[in-house]
Amino acid sequence: MSVVSNKPDKSHWYFISILGGLFITAKHLIKNLLNKDKMMTLNYPEQKFEYSPRFKGNHVLTVKKDGAIRCTACMLCATNCPAECIKITAAEHNDPAVEKFPIAYEIDILRCVFCGFCEEACPVDAIRMGPEWQTPGLSGSAFTYDINHLAYRPQLKGGVVSVVDEVERHKSGI
Amino acid sequence: MPKCTINGVDVEVKDGATIMEAFYKLDQGIAHYCYHPGLSVAGVCRLCIVDIEGNPRPQIACNTVVTEGMKVTNQSEKIKDGVKWVLDFHLINHPLDCPVCDQAGECGLQEQYMEYGKYNSEMAEPKVKKHKVVDLGPTVVLDSERCVLCSRCVRFTDEVSKTNELGLFNRGDKTEIGTFEGKELNNKYSLNTVDICPVGALTSKDFRFRQRVWYLKNSETVCTGCSTGCNVKVYYNKEGAFRVKPVYNEKVNGHWMCDEGRDIYKFVNIEHRQTVAQKITAGKKSEMIPGQAAIEAHQVIKSTSESNLAVVLTGQYTNEEYDAALNNFKTKNIFHWKNKEENWKDFDGLLIRGDKNPNSKGLETALSKAGINTDWKDLESGINSGKFTTVVVAGPENIKAYPYFDDRVKMIAKAKNVIWMTACSNESFKAFQNNALIIPMKSYLEKAGTFTNHAGLDQSFKKATTIVSHALTLAEASFLMTGQALPMPATAAAPKFMEHDRRTDQVMIENRKKNEFVFKRGNL
Repeated sequence: MSVVSNKPDKSHWYFISILGGLFITAKHLIKNLLNKDKMMTLNYPEQKFEYSPRFKGNHVLTVKKDGAIRCTACMLCATNCPAECIKITAAEHNDPAVEKFPIAYEIDILRCVFCGFCEEACPVDAIRMGPEWQTPGLSGSAFTYDINHLAYRPQLKGGVVSVVDEVERHKSGI
Repeated sequence: MPKCTINGVDVEVKDGATIMEAFYKLDQGIAHYCYHPGLSVAGVCRLCIVDIEGNPRPQIACNTVVTEGMKVTNQSEKIKDGVKWVLDFHLINHPLDCPVCDQAGECGLQEQYMEYGKYNSEMAEPKVKKHKVVDLGPTVVLDSERCVLCSRCVRFTDEVSKTNELGLFNRGDKTEIGTFEGKELNNKYSLNTVDICPVGALTSKDFRFRQRVWYLKNSETVCTGCSTGCNVKVYYNKEGAFRVKPVYNEKVNGHWMCDEGRDIYKFVNIEHRQTVAQKITAGKKSEMIPGQAAIEAHQVIKSTSESNLAVVLTGQYTNEEYDAALNNFKTKNIFHWKNKEENWKDFDGLLIRGDKNPNSKGLETALSKAGINTDWKDLESGINSGKFTTVVVAGPENIKAYPYFDDRVKMIAKAKNVIWMTACSNESFKAFQNNALIIPMKSYLEKAGTFTNHAGLDQSFKKATTIVSHALTLAEASFLMTGQALPMPATAAAPKFMEHDRRTDQVMIENRKKNEFVFKRGNL
């Protein structure tokens, strides 16, 4: 066991630090009284902080120009997911140019660790992490996001269009 | 027997053997698509180029016969560069749609690219568009864009299945695999073309898009589709089995297997299985766990005299289970349920046999060893006359192979007590109205054992996976039904983790005092 000796002659100087702390408090008080708009705190439920668009929040499935799901059900996101929260069921598409598409795409958002690996793995920009972060729910089932919620929830206003377009790629000979 | 040197290693090969066979014999890696050991040599992919000493130009290994003293290498810079460029030519019109391609993960093109390629394509021209999702027949789908025109599938239909359905059409970069108009790829071995396709051009309709291959584990086992006993690999994960592929065995099946055998995994999956034991008394059903049901069956069997007990066995269990069952049931009234015996001698010339049980031969051997010789008609008359009051049936796993299954169940249901062991549930079991026990069994993927094929060859296989965990094997059930405890496998004494209670690198207390962190702790 170690013994640390107190040095009483030094400890009298704490009073200066207290004055320094009080000065900072008083500075902020006067600042906030004079300039209310630049206050650091928010009245949270009424006022909400907007994160940058690059914030890694809830997932968004992008759509093609015609509004169909961009995802090709390649399962690279599900393979890459460290939390194993993505579940995809693939099916054959009627259009031979599309070939494969997901009939079910579920994300268990309570398991998700928001690492963004799905976004990185996606070869066709089909999944993105959106800026939403405030998504409460009343039951556990509300946290399993299905394909309709991920692609067409009202906040997305008809869907986010993917940057990878198959028709254009075909035209350019890829 | 010429001798040659492959990458500095001496090897002796058969007369007329090619350099490729020498590479195979030494297990040395060589890039190739069109060469397949079970097919003739086409020499179309030009990927297997090798340097032969004294020869100014690279030669293809698959079509060059080994001569005495030949010195071959595929490790020189010239060859490595050559393979890279041949691969680039293969990829000129390849769509590179690996994410939607079912072959991704086990694709020859991906493997060769990772090993020999790794370049950026220098092709400026647009890719040639070909047909996508061509329905070749009832089992196979073709994507012409992905095809590298190795012609393996064409040679397979020419040489092995001898049905000549596939051909190469058009010329140059417009060449496509296809069938003639009005014809379709429809033979009993068609899915082998999917196996030998080195890319994702031919895909199986059954497996297409159901799983990515990297989610599947595989295990080698024996096909239970017929008495040929093809060696197969079953691909499965925790959701069940997904597909079956052949494994090379020169004595049994060579490189191939039939389409029928590829469907055999289906009844193993949980949706077709009997998952709980059922006890039916006076039309009322109650459910219980299989072990409990087997013990209840013991009460029934105990109250039956030996001459009134009949045991029915089918050729779908392993030799070990037959031995255990014949040892435990002391009765001589053991019957062999043969399905369609008149077809048993049928053989299509390649693999498929008429006997749709994997182990009929094993059961016959076991019965003759036990000195049991009974006739099925005795069972029928015995049940009808009321002689056999208790009938124990080890029913088939693959019920589809038993065409008169329904009638046989109805016939046996006439007995006073029926104990039916089955892996799969079936509609026919509704025939049991009184005093019946249905006990779930393990399927062939869930147990280890030995099957004896039509030629008397014993083939052992290991347990692959567990699907119905509490199901019993026939051996376990026969022990429980005859009132015995399950034989516990003897386990070796657990190895000691450490010889002493101390690690070899453990720091002793006197040394620890000299540790700087302990020593200077008071100052921290």
